[in-house]
Amino acid sequence: MGNVFSSIFSKLWGGSKEIRILILGLDGAGKTTILYKMQLGEVVKTKPTIGFNVETLKYKNISINMWDLGGQTSIRPYWRCYYADTAAVIFVVDSTDKDRLDVAKKELHTMLKEDELSDSALLVFANKQDQPGAMTASEVSKALGLAELKDRSWSIVASSAVKGEGLTEGLDWLIDVIREEQEL
Amino acid sequence: MGAGHLERKLRRMFKIPVKGENSEFRSGLVSQYSDERKDTIQRVIAAMTVGKDVSSLFPDILKNIATHDLEQKKLVYLYLMNYAKTNPELCILATNTFVQDAEDPNPLVRALAIRTMGCIRVNEMVDYLAIPLKRTLEDDNPYVRKTAAICVVKMFALNTKLCVEQGFLDTLLSMLNDSNQMVVANAISALLEISKMGGSQLLNIDSRIMKKLLITLNECTEWGRISILTAMENFDTSDVTEVDHIIEKVTPQLQHENPAVVLSSIKVILKQMDKVSNDQRERLLRRLASPLCSLLSNPPEIQYVALRNIRIILEKYPHILSNDLQAFFVKYNDPLYLKLEKIDILVRLANAGNAALLLAELREYAMEVDIELVNRVVNVIGQLAIKITEISKKAVDVLYELYLNRSSYVLEQLVIVIQNILRRYPKKYLPTVITIIADLNFDDLSNTESLASYIWIIGQYSKEIPHLEDKLEIMALQFKELEPLVQAAALTAIVKINLTKSTPKTRQFLQKILNEATTEIENADIRDKAYIYWRILSTDDEELQKSIVLKRLPVLESTIDTFSPLLLKQLISEISNLGSVYYKPAVTFIKPKAENEALVNNATLQSKKLEELQQMAKSEIVNNAVKAETLLDFDDSEENQDSAAPVDTPMGSIGIGATTGAANILDELSDLFSGMTTQPQPGTTSSAIASTSTSTSPSPAAGSTSNLFELINQQKHKTITGSSTTHDDLLNLF
Repeated sequence: MGNVFSSIFSKLWGGSKEIRILILGLDGAGKTTILYKMQLGEVVKTKPTIGFNVETLKYKNISINMWDLGGQTSIRPYWRCYYADTAAVIFVVDSTDKDRLDVAKKELHTMLKEDELSDSALLVFANKQDQPGAMTASEVSKALGLAELKDRSWSIVASSAVKGEGLTEGLDWLIDVIREEQEL
Repeated sequence: MGAGHLERKLRRMFKIPVKGENSEFRSGLVSQYSDERKDTIQRVIAAMTVGKDVSSLFPDILKNIATHDLEQKKLVYLYLMNYAKTNPELCILATNTFVQDAEDPNPLVRALAIRTMGCIRVNEMVDYLAIPLKRTLEDDNPYVRKTAAICVVKMFALNTKLCVEQGFLDTLLSMLNDSNQMVVANAISALLEISKMGGSQLLNIDSRIMKKLLITLNECTEWGRISILTAMENFDTSDVTEVDHIIEKVTPQLQHENPAVVLSSIKVILKQMDKVSNDQRERLLRRLASPLCSLLSNPPEIQYVALRNIRIILEKYPHILSNDLQAFFVKYNDPLYLKLEKIDILVRLANAGNAALLLAELREYAMEVDIELVNRVVNVIGQLAIKITEISKKAVDVLYELYLNRSSYVLEQLVIVIQNILRRYPKKYLPTVITIIADLNFDDLSNTESLASYIWIIGQYSKEIPHLEDKLEIMALQFKELEPLVQAAALTAIVKINLTKSTPKTRQFLQKILNEATTEIENADIRDKAYIYWRILSTDDEELQKSIVLKRLPVLESTIDTFSPLLLKQLISEISNLGSVYYKPAVTFIKPKAENEALVNNATLQSKKLEELQQMAKSEIVNNAVKAETLLDFDDSEENQDSAAPVDTPMGSIGIGATTGAANILDELSDLFSGMTTQPQPGTTSSAIASTSTSTSPSPAAGSTSNLFELINQQKHKTITGSSTTHDDLLNLF
C-alpha cells in the first residue's frame, strides 16, 4: 500500500516523473553513439552493446530515460522485456547498409505489432548521413515501409550521430508528440 | 486520430489492476519514479531473503541494474546472484552494465561488478567475463585486484579452456609478486583451488616465492595466512638454513587466535621436522606442545577437531605432549563426544611418571552416569594396565572396586578387559580377577565380545573355575544359537578343557559341540575349525595335541589401536583438513567435481559388469560342485594327503595341504595379474570393458570357486582404477 501512497504523493508534488524512450535498431546502426551524443554532447568510443545502456537526460524540463538496447541477433528477442510503459521508440537505421534494410524492416514491423507499443510514437533516424553512399531519408522511409503505418505518430529524420546533425530536430518532434499524448 | 486517442485513454483509466504481490512489485519496478523503483527493489530483496520466490521479476529487476545509486546497484546485484540460474539467457542483458561498472572510477564498484559477474555461474556470461576480468586483474587498486584473483577460480570452474587460453593462470602466477599482501594471499588461494580442481600442480614454489610468502605471512588476514601456510607445506626445502628460516617465520603464527592458522602452522613445521637435527627436533616439539593445548580453549566442536588432529600427531611423535596430561582432563560440562576423545588421548599420554595421577582421574570418570563413557573408561583403565606395568596392580584394584560397586554398569566391558589383562600378565593378577569370572554365569552377559572373552577365560583357566561342568552345559546347550565369534571361542574352550581337565561330562559336551559344528553350523570358518580340532583329537599322540592346542599365545603388548604407517603418513599431510577428522585420506571420500558426469556413466557400466561376473560365478559354482564335495570329504582327503605327505602327523599333512592349495591359488592369481598387466591401459570406458572380458577368460581353468571371488574383487578394483584413469584423461583434455 505504501507504494500506492508514495506514487500518489510524488505525482501530486511533481516529483521527477521520467519518460521512457527506447532506442532500437540493428547492430552497428549507431544507437549507443546517438545516446551518448545526446546525453554528453560528445562522441564516445563504443563497443557492441551486450545488454543495454540507460541514461537520464533533461530535455526541455522533462527528464527522459533513454534505453539503448543491444542490436545483436541474440539480444533482439529480449527487446520485448522493455516495451511496457514506453512513451516512444527511436529506431536507428544505418543508411549505408542497404543489404540489411530488409531485416531492419522486419524487426521494425514485428516490434510495432506488440500490444504494449500500440501507444508509442515512432522516430526513425536514417543515420550515418556523413558517410558516402548513404541513402536519403525518403529512400529509407520507403524501404522500411513507413507509409504503411496506421494509427501512429511517426517521423523520419536524416541524422549523423558523429556530427550531431538531425538529433535535436528529431528529439524536438518526439517531445512535442509525447507532450500532447501525456498532456504534460 | 482523436477518437482512437480517447479510447486509449479510457482503456488505460479503467484498466483492471492485476492482483498479487508479484504484480504489485512488477509495476513498482517499472515505475516512472526512480525512488519508487528503488523502494520496490528493497521490498523484493526483503521478500527474497525470507524465502519467497520472486524469480519471475527477473527481467524487471534487471532493468534497474544500470544506475549510479550504489545502494540500488548492490541490491540488484544481490538479486542477480541469487536468481541468475533461473533465467540464464536473460543474464546476458546485464553484461553491458557489468562491463561498464568494471571501468567505474569508484574501485568499490569495479570490485563489486567483477565479484558479482563471477558469482553469476551461467555459461552465457562466461564469454563476456574475459575482458573485464583481464582489466580488473591489472587494476591500480589492490582491493579490485584481490577480488579479481578469486574470480579467476570461478571462471576456471565454469570454462577451464577459455580461462587457460586467456592466460589468466599466468596472470595469477605473476600476481605472487604483487606489492600488496592481500593480493598475494588471494592469488595463492586461487592457485591452490585451481590446482585442486584441475588435478595438476600449478603452484611450484621455489625458494624465491617462498621468501616472498614468508614476508607476506605476517601481514595478511587470517584466511590469507591459512592459504599461504597450505601452499608452503608442499615446499621441498633444499638446505637447513632454509628450514630454519621457515620455522623461525612460521613459529609466531602458533600464537594466532584462529585455530585453523595454528593447525596449519603446526603442519608446516611438522613437514620440516624430518630435516632438522635430533636435538633441534626435540626443542621444536616442546614448542609445539603449548599451541596444541591452547586449541582446547575453543568451543567443543573445534576442540573435537583439535583432538582428532592431536591423536594423529601423537602417533607420529608420542612424546610431544608428555608433560601436558592435565590439559586433556575431562571437564564436567564437556559433551560426550569430547569426553570420549579426551580419554582416548589421555591413555596415549600416560607414562610411568603420570600413570598414578591418570588412574585417579579415570577412577573419577568411572563414577559418571553415562554408560558409554563408563565403558570406555573401563576399557582405558585396562589399556593403561597393559601399557604401564608399574601401575597395573593399582589399575586392577580399581577395576575390582568398580566390579564391586557398579557391576551392572561395567560388567560386559570388564570381562573383555580382564581377558586382555590375563593375556598381558597371565599369573600375576589371577587370584583377584578370577573371582569376578568365577561368580559369573553364562546368562549374565549378552554382548558378543564379552561372551567370547568370558569363554576364553573359562577355557584357559578351567582349573580355577568352580562348577565348571554346569557352565559348560549351558554353553553346549546354546551352542547352535550363539554368534560365530562366540562359537569359535566355545569350540576352542571345550577342546582345551578336554585336554587339561577331562571328565566324562566334558567329553560328552565336546562330542555334542563337534557334531553340531560340523553338521549343523552354516559358518564355514566354524565348521572348518571343528574339523581341524576333530582331526587333531583323533590322533593318539596326546603330547602333540597339547603342544598345538595349549600353546601359549604371545604376550599382549598394547591394546591401544594405531594407524598403519602408510595411513599415518597420509594423515599427517592432511592435518587440519577434513581427512584428519575422519581418519581417512581425502581421496577416499571426495571426488573431483569435473568427473561427476563420467562417474555416473561408469557406475552403470560397472554394475553391468558385476552382474555378468556374478552370473559367471554362479555357473562356476555349479560346475565345481562335485569337486567341492570331494574336497570337503574329510576321510578321502586324509588318505590322499597322507599318501602324498611322508610326514605321518596330522599337523604336517594339514600344513602341506594348505601350502599346496595356497600355491595353486597364488599361481592362478599371478596368471590373472599378468593377464591384466599386459592389457593396454584403458583410455576409454569401452576399452575397460574389453579388458574385463579378456581378463576373465582364463577363469574357467581355475580349480576352486574362491579364486573367482578373488577375480571379482580384482575386477572391481580394476574397473575403479580404470575409471580413474579415464577421468585423468578427461581432465587432460580440458
